[in-house]
Amino acid sequence: MNKSIATDSLRPMTEVQVRQTREFIESLKEDCQTYWDMVEVGDVLSRDLTITPELVILYADAVEDYTPWYEGWKMNTWRIEGESPFGGAIVPPMMVSHFVLSVQFDHTKPFAIGSVHTMHETELHEPIPVGATVTISAKAVDKYEKRGRRYVRHEVTVTDVNSGLLYMRELRDIMSL
Amino acid sequence: MLKRMDNQMNDQMTAEEAYRITPDTPVGFELIGVKKKAAIQLMGSRLWGRFNPNHWDPVYADETGLDAPIQTGEMSSAYIAEMCVNYLGAAMFKGARFNCKYVASILANEIIETGGRVTAKEPDGDGYRFTLEVWAKNDAGQLKSIGSVEATVGA
Repeated sequence: MNKSIATDSLRPMTEVQVRQTREFIESLKEDCQTYWDMVEVGDVLSRDLTITPELVILYADAVEDYTPWYEGWKMNTWRIEGESPFGGAIVPPMMVSHFVLSVQFDHTKPFAIGSVHTMHETELHEPIPVGATVTISAKAVDKYEKRGRRYVRHEVTVTDVNSGLLYMRELRDIMSL
Repeated sequence: MLKRMDNQMNDQMTAEEAYRITPDTPVGFELIGVKKKAAIQLMGSRLWGRFNPNHWDPVYADETGLDAPIQTGEMSSAYIAEMCVNYLGAAMFKGARFNCKYVASILANEIIETGGRVTAKEPDGDGYRFTLEVWAKNDAGQLKSIGSVEATVGA
């Protein structure tokens, strides 16, 4: 290990925080396979996700996006209808795309080592209202090698649990060790 | 570089009025992006899982051969999308496409700025279908993410 690099290199920590962090990282170590080995073509991974106002705020804050259209929760007023060109508060366009990754990795426990999301081709069909429950479904459609690297391709749909409305369709690749 | 003419902008305009792509926007128009810092505190959010320390722990990243923890790609997609919402408004949420490739890792503490350019414009119903080339670069000009966005404005 490079001696100048330490747990607290990039943010201030006390020795208690450093120890907690190292213990947490040690706890993550487990025997695991690569994503390539865990997923077969034809595998369908699916989860339902209720997009609560608080989850939207968590996402928007993590990417520092303060667009008011996403606010279905505010300090002091708590849950609100919100405002957007579509009526109430809506979900940031790429938020559910992030949770596709969560669906993919959720089904490959223990965590698949060395997997990297490399691209997405996303069709945004309809705005998703804050509060909607959606089904995120990802089907592995191809495994291929390119320039010595291995990729798993997925076709993804995001639909409304109640109405079946298609909100989003996506093609995405995971590069795997 | 094509920008909105000075006589079309004034201090009374909201940001939405000043920067929104309209049916009159020409091919070649350049978008002013958003600028962010790859802050380790945000990279380590549980939103991103926090099960891969390569995204938030410098020691683990070093042990696996990285110069520093790397952002998850979803963060730069979100930055580009934010820029596109600024310029395309509601059109970014309905009938839009966003393709993105992560061509280089974003390292902790890098400053990232998005950008975009209108590359095509075709009539679509009562409006126009715009195609944008979009990207995210660090402050040294290194491309990190590249892609394209399509959306129909004015329909």
